[in-house]
Amino acid sequence: MSQAVVTRSGSERPLGSIGRLLRSDQLARLASYLFLLVVWQLVALYEDRFPGPAEVFRFLWIEVTGGRHGGIVRGEFLEPFAATLPRFALGIAISMVLGVVTGVVIGGSKFAEALFRDTLLVLVALPAIIWAFLTQMWMGLGDDAVVITTFLSAFPFVAVNVVQGIQAVPRDLLRMSRSYHVSRYRRWRHMLIPAVTGYLFAGLRFAVIVGWNAVLLGEWFSASDGVGWRSRYWYDANRYQGFVAWVILFIAFIVLLDRLVLVRLQRRAFRWRDAQLTAVERQAEEIDIGVKGA
Amino acid sequence: MATLQVEHLNKTFPAIERRSRSTTAIGDLSFEIGGHVFVTVVGPSGCGKSTLLNILSGIEEPTGGRVSVSEGERQARLGYVFQEPRLLPWRTVMQNMLYVIEGSPAEARDRATRYLRMVGLPDAGDQFPSQLSGGMQQRVGIARAFSVEPDLLLMDEPFSHLDAITARGLREQLQEIWVQTKKTVLFVTHDITEAVQLSNRVLMLAPGGRLYADVPIDLPHPRRASDTEVAMAQAELLRQFETMQKEVDAARATEIAS
Repeated sequence: MSQAVVTRSGSERPLGSIGRLLRSDQLARLASYLFLLVVWQLVALYEDRFPGPAEVFRFLWIEVTGGRHGGIVRGEFLEPFAATLPRFALGIAISMVLGVVTGVVIGGSKFAEALFRDTLLVLVALPAIIWAFLTQMWMGLGDDAVVITTFLSAFPFVAVNVVQGIQAVPRDLLRMSRSYHVSRYRRWRHMLIPAVTGYLFAGLRFAVIVGWNAVLLGEWFSASDGVGWRSRYWYDANRYQGFVAWVILFIAFIVLLDRLVLVRLQRRAFRWRDAQLTAVERQAEEIDIGVKGA
Repeated sequence: MATLQVEHLNKTFPAIERRSRSTTAIGDLSFEIGGHVFVTVVGPSGCGKSTLLNILSGIEEPTGGRVSVSEGERQARLGYVFQEPRLLPWRTVMQNMLYVIEGSPAEARDRATRYLRMVGLPDAGDQFPSQLSGGMQQRVGIARAFSVEPDLLLMDEPFSHLDAITARGLREQLQEIWVQTKKTVLFVTHDITEAVQLSNRVLMLAPGGRLYADVPIDLPHPRRASDTEVAMAQAELLRQFETMQKEVDAARATEIAS
Protein backbone atom coordinates (compact mmCIF):
# COMPACT_ATOMS: atom_id res chain seq x y z
CA MET A 1 0.00 0.00 0.00
CA SER A 2 2.97 2.25 0.08
CA GLN A 3 3.35 4.85 -2.57
CA ALA A 4 6.60 6.43 -3.57
CA VAL A 5 6.44 10.14 -3.94
CA VAL A 6 9.45 11.87 -5.38
CA THR A 7 9.77 15.56 -4.89
CA ARG A 8 12.67 17.81 -5.49
CA SER A 9 13.31 19.77 -2.36
CA GLY A 10 12.97 23.49 -2.67
CA SER A 11 10.79 23.40 -5.74
CA GLU A 12 7.39 22.47 -4.32
CA ARG A 13 6.30 26.06 -4.29
CA PRO A 14 7.70 28.72 -6.60
CA LEU A 15 9.35 31.48 -4.59
CA GLY A 16 8.37 35.11 -5.16
CA SER A 17 11.10 37.62 -5.89
CA ILE A 18 11.16 38.71 -2.22
CA GLY A 19 11.40 35.10 -1.12
CA ARG A 20 14.33 34.58 -3.45
CA LEU A 21 16.05 37.70 -2.16
CA LEU A 22 15.63 36.58 1.44
CA ARG A 23 17.30 33.28 0.66
CA SER A 24 20.04 34.68 -1.54
CA ASP A 25 23.76 34.62 -0.83
CA GLN A 26 23.97 38.37 -1.41
CA LEU A 27 21.66 38.98 1.50
CA ALA A 28 23.64 36.63 3.71
CA ARG A 29 26.81 38.49 2.86
CA LEU A 30 25.16 41.83 3.47
CA ALA A 31 23.99 40.58 6.87
CA SER A 32 27.54 39.63 7.80
CA TYR A 33 28.76 43.16 6.97
CA LEU A 34 25.97 44.68 9.03
CA PHE A 35 26.84 42.44 11.94
CA LEU A 36 30.48 43.59 11.77
CA LEU A 37 29.35 47.23 11.75
CA VAL A 38 27.21 46.64 14.86
CA VAL A 39 30.09 44.98 16.71
CA TRP A 40 32.38 47.82 15.70
CA GLN A 41 29.88 50.39 16.96
CA LEU A 42 29.51 48.55 20.27
CA VAL A 43 33.27 48.39 20.80
CA ALA A 44 33.52 52.10 20.01
CA LEU A 45 30.81 52.90 22.58
CA TYR A 46 32.74 51.26 25.40
CA GLU A 47 36.22 52.35 24.35
CA ASP A 48 36.67 56.12 24.05
CA ARG A 49 39.88 56.11 22.08
CA PHE A 50 38.52 53.71 19.48
CA PRO A 51 36.66 55.58 16.69
CA GLY A 52 33.19 54.35 15.69
CA PRO A 53 31.98 53.72 12.16
CA ALA A 54 30.17 57.03 11.76
CA GLU A 55 33.25 59.03 12.75
CA VAL A 56 35.49 57.01 10.46
CA PHE A 57 33.24 57.25 7.44
CA ARG A 58 32.83 61.00 7.97
CA PHE A 59 36.61 61.28 7.98
CA LEU A 60 36.85 59.06 4.92
CA TRP A 61 34.41 61.30 3.11
CA ILE A 62 36.45 64.44 3.78
CA GLU A 63 39.67 62.59 2.91
CA VAL A 64 38.19 61.64 -0.44
CA THR A 65 36.32 64.83 -1.32
CA GLY A 66 38.59 67.59 0.00
CA GLY A 67 39.79 69.73 2.90
CA ARG A 68 43.04 70.76 4.50
CA HIS A 69 44.92 69.50 7.50
CA GLY A 70 48.22 70.95 8.61
CA GLY A 71 50.63 70.58 5.73
CA ILE A 72 48.69 68.11 3.60
CA VAL A 73 45.94 68.55 1.07
CA ARG A 74 43.05 66.18 1.43
CA GLY A 75 40.79 65.10 -1.40
CA GLU A 76 43.61 63.62 -3.40
CA PHE A 77 43.36 60.19 -1.85
CA LEU A 78 44.56 58.57 -5.06
CA GLU A 79 47.94 60.20 -4.65
CA PRO A 80 49.15 57.89 -1.89
CA PHE A 81 48.02 54.93 -4.02
CA ALA A 82 49.92 56.33 -6.98
CA ALA A 83 53.06 56.40 -4.83
CA THR A 84 52.52 52.94 -3.35
CA LEU A 85 51.51 50.93 -6.41
CA PRO A 86 54.80 51.16 -8.37
CA ARG A 87 56.72 50.05 -5.26
CA PHE A 88 54.26 47.22 -4.73
CA ALA A 89 54.32 46.13 -8.37
CA LEU A 90 58.10 46.19 -8.52
CA GLY A 91 58.41 44.21 -5.30
CA ILE A 92 55.95 41.57 -6.51
CA ALA A 93 57.57 41.37 -9.95
CA ILE A 94 60.99 40.71 -8.42
CA SER A 95 59.48 38.13 -6.05
CA MET A 96 57.84 36.29 -8.94
CA VAL A 97 60.97 36.15 -11.06
CA LEU A 98 63.36 35.18 -8.28
CA GLY A 99 60.73 32.96 -6.65
CA VAL A 100 60.27 30.94 -9.84
CA VAL A 101 64.02 30.66 -10.38
CA THR A 102 64.64 29.58 -6.77
CA GLY A 103 61.69 27.20 -6.87
CA VAL A 104 62.89 25.54 -10.07
CA VAL A 105 66.40 25.14 -8.69
CA ILE A 106 65.25 23.69 -5.37
CA GLY A 107 62.47 21.58 -6.91
CA GLY A 108 64.74 20.19 -9.60
CA SER A 109 67.68 19.08 -7.49
CA LYS A 110 67.85 17.01 -4.32
CA PHE A 111 71.09 18.71 -3.37
CA ALA A 112 69.72 22.22 -3.75
CA GLU A 113 66.68 21.18 -1.76
CA ALA A 114 68.81 19.90 1.10
CA LEU A 115 70.81 23.11 0.98
CA PHE A 116 68.04 25.71 0.84
CA ARG A 117 64.80 24.18 2.04
CA ASP A 118 65.13 25.12 5.71
CA THR A 119 66.31 28.64 4.86
CA LEU A 120 63.21 29.06 2.75
CA LEU A 121 60.96 27.90 5.57
CA VAL A 122 62.58 30.39 7.94
CA LEU A 123 61.94 33.15 5.40
CA VAL A 124 58.29 32.12 5.11
CA ALA A 125 57.94 32.32 8.87
CA LEU A 126 59.57 35.77 9.25
CA PRO A 127 56.99 38.55 9.63
CA ALA A 128 57.18 41.51 7.26
CA ILE A 129 57.76 43.93 10.10
CA ILE A 130 61.22 42.43 10.70
CA TRP A 131 62.18 43.31 7.13
CA ALA A 132 60.62 46.74 7.45
CA PHE A 133 62.85 47.46 10.47
CA LEU A 134 65.97 45.93 8.97
CA THR A 135 65.70 47.65 5.59
CA GLN A 136 65.10 50.98 7.31
CA MET A 137 68.29 50.42 9.30
CA TRP A 138 70.27 49.40 6.23
CA MET A 139 68.97 51.82 3.65
CA GLY A 140 67.29 54.62 5.53
CA LEU A 141 64.34 56.45 3.99
CA GLY A 142 63.43 55.87 0.37
CA ASP A 143 61.89 53.60 -2.21
CA ASP A 144 64.61 50.95 -1.98
CA ALA A 145 63.77 49.98 1.57
CA VAL A 146 60.07 49.67 0.75
CA VAL A 147 60.55 47.64 -2.44
CA ILE A 148 63.01 45.31 -0.75
CA THR A 149 60.73 44.79 2.25
CA THR A 150 57.95 43.84 -0.17
CA PHE A 151 60.19 41.54 -2.14
CA LEU A 152 61.70 39.78 0.89
CA SER A 153 58.29 39.16 2.42
CA ALA A 154 56.55 37.91 -0.73
CA PHE A 155 59.34 35.99 -2.43
CA PRO A 156 59.47 32.88 -0.17
CA PHE A 157 55.78 32.16 -0.77
CA VAL A 158 56.32 32.07 -4.51
CA ALA A 159 59.40 29.86 -4.18
CA VAL A 160 57.78 27.38 -1.77
CA ASN A 161 54.78 26.97 -4.04
CA VAL A 162 56.89 26.46 -7.15
CA VAL A 163 58.95 23.80 -5.32
CA GLN A 164 55.77 21.97 -4.38
CA GLY A 165 54.43 22.27 -7.90
CA ILE A 166 57.55 20.78 -9.44
CA GLN A 167 57.61 17.93 -6.96
CA ALA A 168 53.94 17.21 -7.68
CA VAL A 169 54.39 16.63 -11.43
CA PRO A 170 52.85 13.16 -11.89
CA ARG A 171 55.50 10.45 -12.24
CA ASP A 172 53.36 8.61 -14.79
CA LEU A 173 53.48 11.59 -17.12
CA LEU A 174 57.23 11.94 -16.68
CA ARG A 175 57.67 8.29 -17.63
CA MET A 176 55.29 8.56 -20.55
CA SER A 177 57.26 11.54 -21.86
CA ARG A 178 60.53 9.71 -21.46
CA SER A 179 59.21 6.58 -23.22
CA TYR A 180 58.12 8.65 -26.20
CA HIS A 181 61.40 10.63 -26.24
CA VAL A 182 59.53 13.91 -26.07
CA SER A 183 61.89 16.86 -26.54
CA ARG A 184 62.93 18.97 -23.57
CA TYR A 185 61.17 22.01 -25.02
CA ARG A 186 57.86 20.18 -25.33
CA ARG A 187 58.20 18.62 -21.90
CA TRP A 188 58.62 22.07 -20.32
CA ARG A 189 55.94 23.73 -22.36
CA HIS A 190 53.23 21.09 -22.19
CA MET A 191 53.95 19.13 -19.02
CA LEU A 192 56.07 20.96 -16.43
CA ILE A 193 54.86 24.52 -16.82
CA PRO A 194 51.13 23.64 -16.84
CA ALA A 195 51.65 21.31 -13.90
CA VAL A 196 53.26 24.11 -11.91
CA THR A 197 50.84 26.85 -13.01
CA GLY A 198 48.26 26.07 -10.34
CA TYR A 199 50.88 26.22 -7.62
CA LEU A 200 52.32 29.40 -9.12
CA PHE A 201 48.92 31.05 -8.89
CA ALA A 202 48.55 30.04 -5.29
CA GLY A 203 52.02 31.50 -4.75
CA LEU A 204 51.09 34.73 -6.55
CA ARG A 205 47.96 35.20 -4.45
CA PHE A 206 49.91 34.68 -1.25
CA ALA A 207 52.67 36.98 -2.50
CA VAL A 208 50.20 39.74 -3.33
CA ILE A 209 48.50 39.58 0.05
CA VAL A 210 51.72 39.31 2.05
CA GLY A 211 53.42 41.88 -0.20
CA TRP A 212 50.63 44.39 0.26
CA ASN A 213 51.05 44.16 4.02
CA ALA A 214 54.78 44.51 3.61
CA VAL A 215 54.66 47.55 1.33
CA LEU A 216 52.55 49.38 3.92
CA LEU A 217 54.86 48.47 6.77
CA GLY A 218 57.81 49.52 4.65
CA GLU A 219 56.19 52.87 3.95
CA TRP A 220 55.25 53.28 7.59
CA PHE A 221 58.93 53.29 8.51
CA SER A 222 60.82 54.35 5.40
CA ALA A 223 58.70 56.53 3.10
CA SER A 224 57.43 60.09 2.95
CA ASP A 225 54.43 59.37 0.76
CA GLY A 226 52.16 56.44 -0.08
CA VAL A 227 49.34 54.60 1.64
CA GLY A 228 51.43 53.36 4.56
CA TRP A 229 52.90 56.79 5.17
CA ARG A 230 49.43 58.38 5.09
CA SER A 231 48.09 55.96 7.71
CA ARG A 232 51.06 56.80 9.89
CA TYR A 233 50.55 60.52 9.34
CA TRP A 234 47.07 60.36 10.90
CA TYR A 235 48.26 57.99 13.58
CA ASP A 236 51.04 60.36 14.58
CA ALA A 237 48.56 63.24 14.49
CA ASN A 238 46.43 61.39 17.04
CA ARG A 239 43.57 61.20 14.53
CA TYR A 240 42.67 57.56 14.99
CA GLN A 241 39.61 57.84 12.77
CA GLY A 242 42.00 58.78 9.95
CA PHE A 243 44.18 55.82 10.68
CA VAL A 244 41.20 53.43 10.63
CA ALA A 245 39.84 55.11 7.48
CA TRP A 246 43.09 54.29 5.68
CA VAL A 247 43.03 50.76 7.01
CA ILE A 248 39.63 50.40 5.34
CA LEU A 249 40.93 51.77 2.02
CA PHE A 250 43.86 49.43 2.30
CA ILE A 251 41.67 46.37 2.89
CA ALA A 252 39.24 47.40 0.13
CA PHE A 253 42.11 47.58 -2.33
CA ILE A 254 43.45 44.11 -1.63
CA VAL A 255 39.98 42.53 -1.69
CA LEU A 256 39.18 44.14 -5.04
CA LEU A 257 42.52 43.14 -6.51
CA ASP A 258 42.06 39.56 -5.41
CA ARG A 259 38.48 39.25 -6.60
CA LEU A 260 38.70 41.19 -9.84
CA VAL A 261 42.10 40.18 -11.12
CA LEU A 262 43.63 37.17 -9.44
CA VAL A 263 40.58 34.93 -9.17
CA ARG A 264 39.75 35.57 -12.82
CA LEU A 265 43.27 34.81 -13.97
CA GLN A 266 43.20 31.64 -11.93
CA ARG A 267 39.92 30.53 -13.43
CA ARG A 268 41.33 31.04 -16.91
CA ALA A 269 44.40 28.98 -16.13
CA PHE A 270 42.26 26.12 -14.87
CA ARG A 271 39.89 25.82 -17.81
CA TRP A 272 41.15 22.28 -18.40
CA ARG A 273 40.15 21.24 -14.89
CA ASP A 274 36.79 22.95 -14.84
CA ALA A 275 35.73 21.79 -18.29
CA GLN A 276 34.01 18.73 -16.87
CA LEU A 277 32.14 20.54 -14.11
CA THR A 278 28.40 20.73 -14.46
CA ALA A 279 26.70 24.10 -14.26
CA VAL A 280 25.61 23.34 -10.68
CA GLU A 281 29.11 22.41 -9.55
CA ARG A 282 30.61 25.45 -11.22
CA GLN A 283 28.18 27.70 -9.39
CA ALA A 284 28.97 25.98 -6.09
CA GLU A 285 32.67 26.45 -6.70
CA GLU A 286 32.27 30.11 -7.54
CA ILE A 287 30.48 30.63 -4.26
CA ASP A 288 33.31 28.84 -2.47
CA ILE A 289 35.96 31.10 -3.90
CA GLY A 290 33.67 34.10 -3.68
CA VAL A 291 33.65 35.40 -7.21
CA LYS A 292 29.92 35.19 -7.73
CA GLY A 293 28.67 38.52 -8.93
CA ALA A 294 32.15 40.04 -8.80
CA MET B 1 57.78 -4.42 -38.58
CA ALA B 2 60.58 -4.84 -36.17
CA THR B 3 62.48 -7.72 -34.72
CA LEU B 4 62.64 -7.91 -30.97
CA GLN B 5 65.33 -10.15 -29.53
CA VAL B 6 65.51 -10.98 -25.87
CA GLU B 7 68.58 -13.03 -24.98
CA HIS B 8 69.25 -14.57 -21.57
CA LEU B 9 67.65 -11.61 -19.88
CA ASN B 10 68.06 -11.38 -16.12
CA LYS B 11 66.85 -8.85 -13.62
CA THR B 12 67.29 -9.10 -9.88
CA PHE B 13 66.29 -6.44 -7.40
CA PRO B 14 68.64 -6.06 -4.44
CA ALA B 15 67.28 -6.71 -0.97
CA ILE B 16 65.55 -3.68 0.44
CA GLU B 17 66.25 -4.51 4.08
CA ARG B 18 69.26 -6.27 5.47
CA ARG B 19 67.37 -9.41 6.45
CA SER B 20 65.36 -9.86 3.27
CA ARG B 21 66.63 -11.65 0.16
CA SER B 22 67.08 -10.17 -3.26
CA THR B 23 64.26 -11.00 -5.65
CA THR B 24 64.56 -12.33 -9.16
CA ALA B 25 62.04 -10.64 -11.42
CA ILE B 26 63.31 -12.12 -14.67
CA GLY B 27 65.44 -15.28 -14.88
CA ASP B 28 67.22 -16.23 -18.09
CA LEU B 29 64.44 -15.20 -20.45
CA SER B 30 64.98 -15.62 -24.18
CA PHE B 31 62.58 -15.18 -27.08
CA GLU B 32 62.41 -13.50 -30.42
CA ILE B 33 59.48 -11.94 -32.21
CA GLY B 34 59.28 -10.22 -35.54
CA GLY B 35 57.01 -9.37 -38.42
CA HIS B 36 53.32 -8.70 -38.37
CA VAL B 37 52.54 -10.57 -35.17
CA PHE B 38 50.54 -9.90 -32.04
CA VAL B 39 52.41 -11.52 -29.17
CA THR B 40 51.07 -11.64 -25.67
CA VAL B 41 53.01 -12.19 -22.48
CA VAL B 42 50.84 -13.69 -19.75
CA GLY B 43 51.61 -14.77 -16.26
CA PRO B 44 50.55 -14.39 -12.66
CA SER B 45 51.38 -11.14 -10.92
CA GLY B 46 55.02 -11.03 -9.87
CA CYS B 47 56.28 -12.95 -12.88
CA GLY B 48 58.21 -9.98 -14.19
CA LYS B 49 55.84 -8.76 -16.89
CA SER B 50 56.07 -5.10 -15.95
CA THR B 51 59.82 -5.37 -15.41
CA LEU B 52 60.19 -6.74 -18.92
CA LEU B 53 58.32 -3.77 -20.34
CA ASN B 54 60.32 -1.32 -18.22
CA ILE B 55 63.54 -2.81 -19.59
CA LEU B 56 62.23 -2.64 -23.15
CA SER B 57 61.24 1.00 -22.74
CA GLY B 58 64.57 1.91 -21.14
CA ILE B 59 63.18 2.86 -17.73
CA GLU B 60 65.16 0.05 -16.10
CA GLU B 61 68.52 -1.57 -16.83
CA PRO B 62 68.80 -5.38 -17.02
CA THR B 63 71.12 -7.16 -14.58
CA GLY B 64 72.29 -9.51 -17.33
CA GLY B 65 71.60 -10.51 -20.92
CA ARG B 66 70.43 -8.14 -23.59
CA VAL B 67 67.40 -6.91 -25.47
CA SER B 68 67.48 -5.40 -28.90
CA VAL B 69 64.83 -3.98 -31.15
CA SER B 70 65.94 -3.59 -34.72
CA GLU B 71 64.27 -2.32 -37.82
CA GLY B 72 66.65 -3.00 -40.68
CA GLU B 73 69.61 -0.71 -40.16
CA ARG B 74 68.00 2.02 -38.13
CA GLN B 75 66.92 2.30 -34.51
CA ALA B 76 63.35 1.02 -34.14
CA ARG B 77 60.60 3.35 -32.98
CA LEU B 78 58.47 2.21 -30.05
CA GLY B 79 54.91 3.06 -29.10
CA TYR B 80 53.42 2.58 -25.65
CA VAL B 81 49.98 2.02 -24.21
CA PHE B 82 49.95 2.06 -20.42
CA GLN B 83 47.55 0.70 -17.83
CA GLU B 84 46.20 4.20 -17.33
CA PRO B 85 45.71 6.61 -20.24
CA ARG B 86 48.54 8.91 -19.04
CA LEU B 87 47.27 11.93 -20.93
CA LEU B 88 48.27 15.49 -20.04
CA PRO B 89 45.12 16.66 -18.21
CA TRP B 90 45.72 20.33 -19.04
CA ARG B 91 46.01 19.78 -22.79
CA THR B 92 43.28 18.88 -25.27
CA VAL B 93 43.14 15.49 -26.94
CA MET B 94 44.68 16.94 -30.12
CA GLN B 95 47.48 18.63 -28.17
CA ASN B 96 48.12 15.34 -26.38
CA MET B 97 48.54 13.63 -29.74
CA LEU B 98 50.82 16.35 -31.09
CA TYR B 99 52.91 16.13 -27.89
CA VAL B 100 54.49 12.85 -29.07
CA ILE B 101 54.32 13.15 -32.88
CA GLU B 102 57.33 14.56 -34.65
CA GLY B 103 57.47 16.11 -38.10
CA SER B 104 55.97 19.19 -39.70
CA PRO B 105 52.90 20.64 -37.95
CA ALA B 106 50.55 19.95 -40.86
CA GLU B 107 51.72 16.38 -41.22
CA ALA B 108 51.55 15.77 -37.47
CA ARG B 109 48.02 17.11 -37.33
CA ASP B 110 47.03 14.92 -40.27
CA ARG B 111 48.39 11.88 -38.58
CA ALA B 112 46.74 12.69 -35.25
CA THR B 113 43.39 13.14 -36.98
CA ARG B 114 43.79 9.88 -38.86
CA TYR B 115 44.46 7.80 -35.76
CA LEU B 116 41.78 9.51 -33.69
CA ARG B 117 39.35 8.56 -36.44
CA MET B 118 40.68 5.02 -36.36
CA VAL B 119 39.83 4.64 -32.67
CA GLY B 120 36.39 6.14 -33.30
CA LEU B 121 37.01 9.56 -31.79
CA PRO B 122 37.10 11.85 -34.85
CA ASP B 123 35.52 14.79 -32.99
CA ALA B 124 37.29 14.56 -29.63
CA GLY B 125 40.29 16.68 -30.63
CA ASP B 126 39.17 19.85 -28.87
CA GLN B 127 38.07 18.17 -25.67
CA PHE B 128 40.07 17.86 -22.50
CA PRO B 129 40.74 14.32 -21.20
CA SER B 130 38.56 14.97 -18.16
CA GLN B 131 35.58 15.39 -20.47
CA LEU B 132 35.97 11.85 -21.81
CA SER B 133 35.02 8.53 -20.22
CA GLY B 134 37.76 6.16 -19.04
CA GLY B 135 37.32 4.01 -22.12
CA MET B 136 37.54 7.00 -24.44
CA GLN B 137 40.68 8.22 -22.68
CA GLN B 138 42.27 4.82 -23.14
CA ARG B 139 41.34 4.96 -26.84
CA VAL B 140 43.17 8.27 -27.10
CA GLY B 141 46.13 6.51 -25.47
CA ILE B 142 45.93 3.81 -28.14
CA ALA B 143 45.62 6.36 -30.94
CA ARG B 144 48.64 8.17 -29.54
CA ALA B 145 50.69 4.95 -29.53
CA PHE B 146 49.81 4.16 -33.15
CA SER B 147 50.31 7.77 -34.27
CA VAL B 148 54.08 7.64 -33.75
CA GLU B 149 53.97 4.85 -36.36
CA PRO B 150 55.97 2.52 -34.14
CA ASP B 151 57.90 -0.48 -35.37
CA LEU B 152 57.07 -2.19 -32.10
CA LEU B 153 54.05 -1.40 -29.97
CA LEU B 154 54.25 -2.22 -26.26
CA MET B 155 50.97 -2.53 -24.40
CA ASP B 156 50.90 -2.94 -20.62
CA GLU B 157 47.53 -4.35 -19.50
CA PRO B 158 45.76 -1.50 -21.25
CA PHE B 159 42.24 -2.74 -20.49
CA SER B 160 42.70 -3.87 -16.91
CA HIS B 161 41.31 -0.66 -15.38
CA LEU B 162 38.18 -0.62 -17.54
CA ASP B 163 34.81 -2.20 -16.97
CA ALA B 164 34.17 -5.53 -18.71
CA ILE B 165 31.87 -4.19 -21.41
CA THR B 166 34.14 -1.29 -22.37
CA ALA B 167 37.16 -3.60 -22.37
CA ARG B 168 35.39 -6.05 -24.66
CA GLY B 169 34.59 -3.31 -27.18
CA LEU B 170 38.16 -2.03 -27.13
CA ARG B 171 39.59 -5.52 -27.69
CA GLU B 172 37.58 -5.83 -30.88
CA GLN B 173 38.60 -2.35 -32.00
CA LEU B 174 42.25 -3.04 -31.27
CA GLN B 175 42.16 -6.13 -33.49
CA GLU B 176 40.68 -4.10 -36.36
CA ILE B 177 43.38 -1.45 -36.03
CA TRP B 178 46.08 -4.09 -35.80
CA VAL B 179 44.82 -5.82 -38.97
CA GLN B 180 44.85 -2.46 -40.78
CA THR B 181 48.21 -1.19 -39.58
CA LYS B 182 50.29 -4.39 -39.52
CA LYS B 183 52.39 -3.48 -36.51
CA THR B 184 54.43 -5.77 -34.31
CA VAL B 185 52.71 -5.78 -30.94
CA LEU B 186 53.91 -7.03 -27.58
CA PHE B 187 50.93 -7.11 -25.26
CA VAL B 188 51.24 -7.85 -21.56
CA THR B 189 48.32 -9.11 -19.50
CA HIS B 190 47.41 -11.40 -16.63
CA ASP B 191 44.15 -12.33 -18.35
CA ILE B 192 44.53 -15.55 -20.32
CA THR B 193 41.22 -15.28 -22.14
CA GLU B 194 42.22 -11.83 -23.34
CA ALA B 195 45.59 -13.17 -24.49
CA VAL B 196 43.99 -15.93 -26.54
CA GLN B 197 41.43 -13.64 -28.12
CA LEU B 198 44.01 -11.10 -29.27
CA SER B 199 47.24 -12.80 -30.15
CA ASN B 200 49.04 -15.05 -32.64
CA ARG B 201 51.38 -16.28 -29.99
CA VAL B 202 51.23 -16.48 -26.23
CA LEU B 203 54.35 -16.47 -24.07
CA MET B 204 53.50 -17.81 -20.64
CA LEU B 205 55.81 -16.73 -17.86
CA ALA B 206 56.22 -18.50 -14.53
CA PRO B 207 57.06 -16.72 -11.27
CA GLY B 208 60.71 -15.69 -11.31
CA GLY B 209 60.32 -14.52 -14.89
CA ARG B 210 61.21 -17.67 -16.77
CA LEU B 211 59.48 -18.78 -19.96
CA TYR B 212 57.09 -21.64 -19.21
CA ALA B 213 55.32 -22.10 -22.53
CA ASP B 214 55.33 -20.60 -26.00
CA VAL B 215 51.95 -21.30 -27.60
CA PRO B 216 50.90 -20.33 -31.14
CA ILE B 217 47.22 -19.42 -31.66
CA ASP B 218 46.41 -19.96 -35.33
CA LEU B 219 42.99 -18.41 -35.71
CA PRO B 220 41.97 -15.61 -38.09
CA HIS B 221 41.43 -12.05 -36.83
CA PRO B 222 39.22 -10.39 -35.80
CA ARG B 223 38.15 -12.84 -33.14
CA ARG B 224 35.22 -12.58 -30.80
CA ALA B 225 35.27 -13.83 -27.25
CA SER B 226 32.16 -15.87 -28.10
CA ASP B 227 33.79 -17.80 -30.99
CA THR B 228 33.91 -21.55 -30.26
CA GLU B 229 37.51 -21.96 -31.45
CA VAL B 230 38.57 -19.05 -29.28
CA ALA B 231 36.79 -20.56 -26.28
CA MET B 232 38.47 -23.92 -26.88
CA ALA B 233 41.90 -22.36 -27.20
CA GLN B 234 41.24 -20.43 -24.01
CA ALA B 235 40.29 -23.62 -22.17
CA GLU B 236 43.45 -25.33 -23.38
CA LEU B 237 45.67 -22.49 -22.28
CA LEU B 238 43.94 -22.20 -18.92
CA ARG B 239 44.70 -25.90 -18.37
CA GLN B 240 48.38 -25.27 -19.05
CA PHE B 241 48.29 -22.32 -16.71
CA GLU B 242 46.80 -24.45 -13.92
CA THR B 243 49.43 -27.14 -14.46
CA MET B 244 52.12 -24.49 -14.19
CA GLN B 245 50.67 -23.17 -10.96
CA LYS B 246 50.55 -26.69 -9.47
CA GLU B 247 54.19 -27.22 -10.38
CA VAL B 248 55.14 -23.89 -8.87
CA ASP B 249 53.25 -24.68 -5.66
CA ALA B 250 54.84 -28.14 -5.44
CA ALA B 251 58.32 -26.68 -5.97
CA ARG B 252 57.68 -24.11 -3.27
CA ALA B 253 56.48 -26.81 -0.86
CA THR B 254 59.65 -28.89 -1.32
CA GLU B 255 61.74 -25.76 -0.90
CA ILE B 256 60.08 -24.97 2.40
CA ALA B 257 60.36 -28.61 3.55
CA SER B 258 64.08 -28.88 2.84
